[in-house]
Order: sequence, then structure tokens, then C-alpha cells
Amino acid sequence: MPSHQHRGARLLALPLALTLLGAACGGGTGENADPDVAGGGSGGDGAGSGTVDVSGSSTVEPISSAVAQLFEEANPDAVVNVDGPGTGDGFQLFCDGETDISDASRPISPEEIATCEENGVEFVELKIAFDGIAVLTNPANDTIACLNFADQYALVGPESQGFETWAAAQPLAGELGSNTELPELPLQITAPGAESGTYDSYVEIVLEDLAEEREQEAEPRPDYSSQGDDSAIIQATEANEGAFGWVGFAFADRAGEGVKILEIDGGDGCVAPSAETIADGSYPVSRPLFIYVSAEAAESNPTVAAYVDFYLGEGIDQVGEVGYVALPEDLLAETASAWEERRTGAKEA
Amino acid sequence: MSDVGRQRVPLTLASLQGDRRRLRREAALRRLFLGAAALSIVISALIVLSLIREAWVFVSQVDLASLWTDGWFPRRGLYDLKTLFAGSLIVTLIAMAVASPLGLGAAVYLSEYARPRVRQALKPVIETLASIPSVVLGFFALTFISPEVVRRFAEEATLANLTAAGIGVGLLTIPLIASVAEDAMAAVPDALREASSGIGARKVTTTVKVVVPAAVSGLVAAFIIATSRAIGETMVVLIAAGASGGSLFSLDPLREGLTLTAAMATQASGTDAVVGAALTFQSLFFVGMLLFLVTFGLNLVADRFVRRVRQKY
Amino acid sequence: MAAVAPHPRTAELVRARLEQGKLDVAGTLFRWLLVGTLALSVGVLAVLLIDVVTGGWGVLSSRLVDFLTSADRTSAEEAGVFQGLRGTFWIGVFTVVLAFPVGIGAAIYLEEYAPRSRFTRIIDINIRNLAGVPSVVYGILGLAIFVKTLASLPDWLGGGPLTGGRTVMSGGIIIAILVLPIVIITSAEAIRAVPDSIREAGFGVGATRWEVVRSHVLPYALPGILTGTVLALARALGEAAPLILVGAVQGRLGGGPGSLVDLGQLQERFTAMPIMITNWSGEFAEGFQDELAPAAIVVLLVFVFLANGTAILLRNRYAKRR
Repeated sequence: MPSHQHRGARLLALPLALTLLGAACGGGTGENADPDVAGGGSGGDGAGSGTVDVSGSSTVEPISSAVAQLFEEANPDAVVNVDGPGTGDGFQLFCDGETDISDASRPISPEEIATCEENGVEFVELKIAFDGIAVLTNPANDTIACLNFADQYALVGPESQGFETWAAAQPLAGELGSNTELPELPLQITAPGAESGTYDSYVEIVLEDLAEEREQEAEPRPDYSSQGDDSAIIQATEANEGAFGWVGFAFADRAGEGVKILEIDGGDGCVAPSAETIADGSYPVSRPLFIYVSAEAAESNPTVAAYVDFYLGEGIDQVGEVGYVALPEDLLAETASAWEERRTGAKEA
Repeated sequence: MSDVGRQRVPLTLASLQGDRRRLRREAALRRLFLGAAALSIVISALIVLSLIREAWVFVSQVDLASLWTDGWFPRRGLYDLKTLFAGSLIVTLIAMAVASPLGLGAAVYLSEYARPRVRQALKPVIETLASIPSVVLGFFALTFISPEVVRRFAEEATLANLTAAGIGVGLLTIPLIASVAEDAMAAVPDALREASSGIGARKVTTTVKVVVPAAVSGLVAAFIIATSRAIGETMVVLIAAGASGGSLFSLDPLREGLTLTAAMATQASGTDAVVGAALTFQSLFFVGMLLFLVTFGLNLVADRFVRRVRQKY
Repeated sequence: MAAVAPHPRTAELVRARLEQGKLDVAGTLFRWLLVGTLALSVGVLAVLLIDVVTGGWGVLSSRLVDFLTSADRTSAEEAGVFQGLRGTFWIGVFTVVLAFPVGIGAAIYLEEYAPRSRFTRIIDINIRNLAGVPSVVYGILGLAIFVKTLASLPDWLGGGPLTGGRTVMSGGIIIAILVLPIVIITSAEAIRAVPDSIREAGFGVGATRWEVVRSHVLPYALPGILTGTVLALARALGEAAPLILVGAVQGRLGGGPGSLVDLGQLQERFTAMPIMITNWSGEFAEGFQDELAPAAIVVLLVFVFLANGTAILLRNRYAKRR
């Protein structure tokens, strides 16, 4: 039965043929993945043909992705991968040498600097934009228009575990000196989790000082719904009348009528977030956005350097396109000079 | 032994021992196939080793108090195991509650009632349900089951919730229960059915009082295998039960939650250059080891029951 | 073997006679209950398919080719699944090239060569357990081996200092390992079903064990083996959890479309269809969750159902031949 005998061989022949075909077709562009060059897994023969690995903040991700898309259009052989697991997770990968650039929505922390140092990773810190953190509630919640830091501490701070309604936080808020009237609505908090820089920024700006005063850990109450996806926070806020959450301003702005953005009183009166108030610093809950570039990658991988050049040049317009606040001229110049000189080390710790 | 007209060839020992080359090839091939089979043991060993190596780091260094806290927040050093077990338990219970009646009912019908042609038409349908990737069920759970089924009856449910995920996992497991249960009932000899009919029992009596009890070992095996599958399901929970890097301990099925499996998948950046909470990476392996032990144990038990079915008949 | 009922007509006549027209309430109710459960299962499947097809119809009908050949983009009108198709293609290749030969070889050993010893029993139990291990644990194995341990080894093995082994090769190998037990179990069943008389015919004319297997057993068992392997392939195409742990890109995978069979891509970051579906399902930005995700699901289901349908067809065709 020769036909049966050959059938078995034919079964294996097909995938083998496919693979050989693939080798023939792909042989030409195979040079791209030259694995001998450290930093990115492929150096290639020029600035426009290597691989750049970017990871980190989900807030900065849209900017880096938009810039990457444009960069790839200008340099068809380049490959720029952008991921957004969170600022903290991003730094872990970065300090492990696994990524070339780390997006961050907060400055690198002392522990992270120490880990990077331990692993011999040097970085160039580049501020690229401003972002505000919008504090949200549902539009149906019409008794509240403005919250101060004491209110927010009472609602979501470390001592607030178990508060089921907004009004339940009233006594604590009063203790801290606020006289905002909190409604009798069920309190449903949806906000970023600990992997997110937005979480870190919010905790640092809103909760830290009060927590220190009251000798508590600067942490939010553990019983809130932590979401990695900013859009999920928006959705949850739209769906629940007593919702409370915080998210990057660009996301909130885009969400339009579905959410109500609260004004924040940081001690100088109630201010609503907008491009202007974030840029001039009058909106209290705002933070700079960074990219941290591995000095070693910048040196050994021309594509990384080209990408960052592009980022700070034509690409920086994407900051506004995506919805964040562009840096004023002087700060942008500072960033540019820091990059040109490849100044390593953190300024903002 | 006809050697008429042929040369007489002396019979030597060599000719009885067979062609050396053939035998050598035979032995080589045998070893090759043995290697292939033994590879499975290597894989098992690798799984256990890779789990134990990091899990041991976790177990030896973890602050035992952090294993019983308010929630599972590995990046903050809170490793409350009961959060994950509660999540897995809730999802599995809901899944089994959905899959058991549907799967068992389908199996009983196909095995006892359906005409051969109906059976032939329906079996591929069940197998089609079985082949649907879990990500598709996850999408379905999030975008259809949650709004249309869960939130319709329980408005306070969050967008992503454990119930929707549980129902999704249940749908995924129906074909598994159906096929194993059907095999179990098919293994029951016709003699039992005929004897029951012979003394005048109706179809339903025969089915319920004779066939099902006779197949009970196989049915138990089906449930255990399905439970193991439900516990091990990741993608449906990841997509439809919402909770990201951490979750508070809760027994409320109408909120988001984390299971053992989803907790592992959300540590995907999986790097050990840990900053801050020192054991985040190792916790991934620890949970993996727990999961492996649970499903391993369940599979062993199920295997016992399956073998009992085979022995009986 | 299911209960072989007598011709339905006869059974009904006899039953009617015996019952003398009395209504068997419980029996009828029970029967309808069973039909109900079956209908519910089938109904849910139908609802799922309808939901997915109607959701993705807009994208699929208006720009199918563009959708299949574009890379993932930030805007929903331009995004496509090509990178996912490429990743899934390579995972399929790895599954076929690695899992099928090894799995069939292992099955041949277990059914044809293995003595009834303790060692054989251990291998058997071991394989059954591996089949029941959750896919995410295989992901951990991939993470531990390819991403961590091998990262320090030479790059030709799939590791690399910066990519850290989070490549499609790593993903493909680990999925091949995942479906290996399924291939072994189904192939072993197919081989076991071959009647001994066939083997004995071969031995009778002096063939060695391998010659008997190659020329008698395998051809006879091939349909069953093929069915099992195709089902395993369908499973491999739909797996996502191991890929997440091995580092499939969940954000933006760079590089644009490129070619399908570029071997250089094997050592690059990757994504796959199930991963893209997962990302798009959770992406609440306009158009992703409600249009692109179902469209991608339809594309994936086409392949999975194709594989499944082939397996069923094969089984039916060769079952008739017996």
C-alpha cells in the first residue's frame, strides 16, 4: 500500500515545506534581527532599522504610541513596541534591562533608582508633558461641585475603610477642617491601582501630607475597585450615581457628558482642570510626564536615539494631539538640552 | 520447505539472527520513541522545578502575616490568599451550577433518548461549542452576559463581575461534562436497560433509576474534570471579572474579583527586578504552585473514578 | 455504544398499547426538560455567534482585506489583525512541527513498544495529568525557561539580552508543549483501536515491530491520529494565557504589517489573535470593543471552525469505511 506509506511522510512534508518557503522568503529581511547587538535585540545597519522597546505608564502610552506610529511611517524598517502595564511595572522592566525607554507619569523613586544602579542601568530623565488628574463623579451627583484635600482624604484615605456612603466620611472631613457637605449617596470608588503612576501621583499630591500629619500610611483605603484601564474607570463612573474616581485629565475630558469633573481646592480656592490651569500650575492635582531613556541603549542602538530625537522634535506635537498639556518653551528647551548632553541621573526624586 | 530446483543454502546461525541492520534500526527507533514518551516526564519535572524554585523563595521569605490581610495586592506586599481562593471558588461554583444541569441534561438526552440521526447531528454542535476559544467566551461574558443577563436581574452589579465570568466559564465547560457523562452512560450495558424495561419500567424510570446510578462513577469523574477545568480557566475571568493588579477580599459575586489564574496573568510583566514590595514576582510562582497542586489533586481523583468505570464493565 | 433502540415506530406503538392512552406526565416532562437543556446550550451558542457576527459585520463587510492586512493602530478605522495572524500562524507552525511528531512518536511507544511495567504506568498517569494542567501554568513554565533562564544563553535559542526571550519562538514552543499531551492521548487511542489481527498479519510474515507499525498500524490509525492532531491545532490557535506570561505585547506592537513568513520575526516581540482579541475587548475607546473585537473573533473562529470541521469530516469519512 504505497499510498498509505507516503501519506505519513506527506503529513510532515507540508509544514517542513512551509518553513523552508518561509526561510526563502524571509531570508532577505532576516538581517533586521541581528541579535548580536545588545540593547533592543537588533542594531541593524542604520538608525532607521532597529527595534525599540518602550514600556511603562498607561498615561504616557498614547503619546509614545502616536509618536511611534509617525516614526515608523518615516522610517519603514524601524520597529517600536509600546506597552502600558503601569509606571511601576515599567520601571521594573527598565531597571532589569529589558526595555529601552520607560514611560512614567511620576518621577522615578529612590528605590527604583537604587535598583537601576544595582543592575548598572543608567538613564536620561526627560520631561515631556504635563497632565492633570481629574477627580470624577457621576453627573447625577449634583450636591458636590468642589472638593478640598481634606474631603478627599476622608473619602478615600487610609482611615476611610468601610465608609459606604459619602456622608459617612463627613465626620472625618470635619475633623480635618473641611465644611463641605457630603451627600447621602452610596460611595463607589473606581480608581487606578498600585501599578499606575496616576495612583502614585494622586496619593502623593492629595493624601501624603494629611496622612503624615495623622501618622498614617500614605495609602488609599484598600476597599476600592482598582482598575488598570483608565477607560474602565470612566465607564464605571458613568454607571453609578455615587461614583468617585480619579483618572488622567485627557481621558476625563474625552469622556464628555458622561462624567462630572470636580473642581479641586488646594488651599487657594476651587479650580477646575483645563489646559491652562494645568500649564500654569493653578490646578493643584497635576504632574509632569516623563520618558526615561536607557543611556546604554541610546548609545548602542541608533534607532533608540533616532526615536527620541524624533519624539522631542516633530513628535512632541502629539502631546497636544492626544490630549495632554504641552510643556512651555523653557521647559522643553531644558529637556532638549538634557537629551543632547545625555545627562544621566534623576533630578526630580 | 521447497528447495526443488534451487541451490541448497546452508542454514547458519547468522541467518537465524536476522539482518543486523534492520535490528539496529529497530532498536534505534525504539529508543527514539521511548525518548518521545519520556519527554512528558521531563516536562512535568520542569514544571514542578520552575514552580518550586521561585515559590520556595516566596515561602521562605514572606512575612506570614501578609498572607491573611484585607486583599491581594502583590505590588504592595499584601498576599491575602483567601481573596484568590474566594474568587476561584465563586467562579467555579457558578460555572458548575450552570454547566452541570445543561451538560448532564444534554448527555442524558443524547445517550438515552435521541434517535441516531439526531445524535449525529447534535454531537458536532456540542463539539463546536467545545472548540470555541476561551477569549471569545470572555468577550461574550463581558459584552453580553454581564449587561443583558446579570445586570438585568441585579442592577447593583458592577460592569465586570464574577457572576458573568462564572457563567462564561460554565458555558465553556458544558461540552466537557456532556462528553464524559455521555461516555459513562454509553458504557452501561444494554442488558440493564432491557431488564428494567422488561419489568415494566417507563423510559424515565429506567433512565433515572437504573442508567444514571449505574454510570455514577463516570458522572462523578465528569464533574471533577469539569471542576478542574473551571478552576484553571484564565481568559474568561481576566476579561470579564475586571479586577486588575489587586483585589479586596469579598464574597460578593456581583462585583469584580480575582481568581488564582487571573492573579497570575496580571503579573504579566513578570520581572524580578523588584522595586518596593520584594516578593511580587515570586508570588506569581507561589500561586502557580497552589493552582498546580489543586488541579493535580482533582485530576488524580477523577482518574480513579474513570478507572472504576472501566473496571466495572 | 449507545442503547440501540428498536425502530421508533415500533417502540411507540408498543408503548402506546401498554399505556392504553394514559398520559405519562412525568416521563414527558422529563423528556422535555432534557430537550430544554440541550436547546438552551445550542441556543446560547447561536446567540454568541449572532452577537459576534453582527458586531463585527460592519468592519468585515466594509474593509475586510484592509482589516486582515493592517497592523494594530490607535484609530479604530485603520486597525487590523495582521500582526495577530502572523503570530498565530507561527504558533500553528511550531505546534505542527514540534508537537505532532513527538506526540505521535510517544503514542507509538506507549501502544506498541512499552512493556506493562511501572515505568509505563507512570508515564501514562503523567501524560493524563499534564493534559489537565491549566494553560496558565504552562505560561509560567515558559516564563521561567524562555524569558528568565535562557535569557542569558545565546540568542539562537530564542533568548536575547533585551528581548529577554519574549519572542514568538518562545510562545510557539510553549504552546506546542501545552498541546503535546492531547496529541499523545488521541493518537494513542487511535492506535489502540487498530485490531491486533492487522499487527499479527505483519508479524506473521516476519516484519519487525517498526515495520508493522509503519506499514500496517499507522495507515489504519491515521484518520484517528489526524483527527486528534487537528483538534489539538484548533486548541493551540485559541490559547492566550500562556502567551501573556511569555510576554506577548499587549500594547502597541511595532513594525507594521511586514511579511507573513519573515523568519527574522521569530526572535522579535509578538502578538497573536487571541491576545489582540483580549486587548480589544477591554479597550473602551471608540470602536474597539464593539466592532474590532468581534471582527477579530470572527476571523479567529473561521480558522478554529475550519480545523474542527476538518477533524469531524475526517472522522466521519473514515468511520464509514470500517
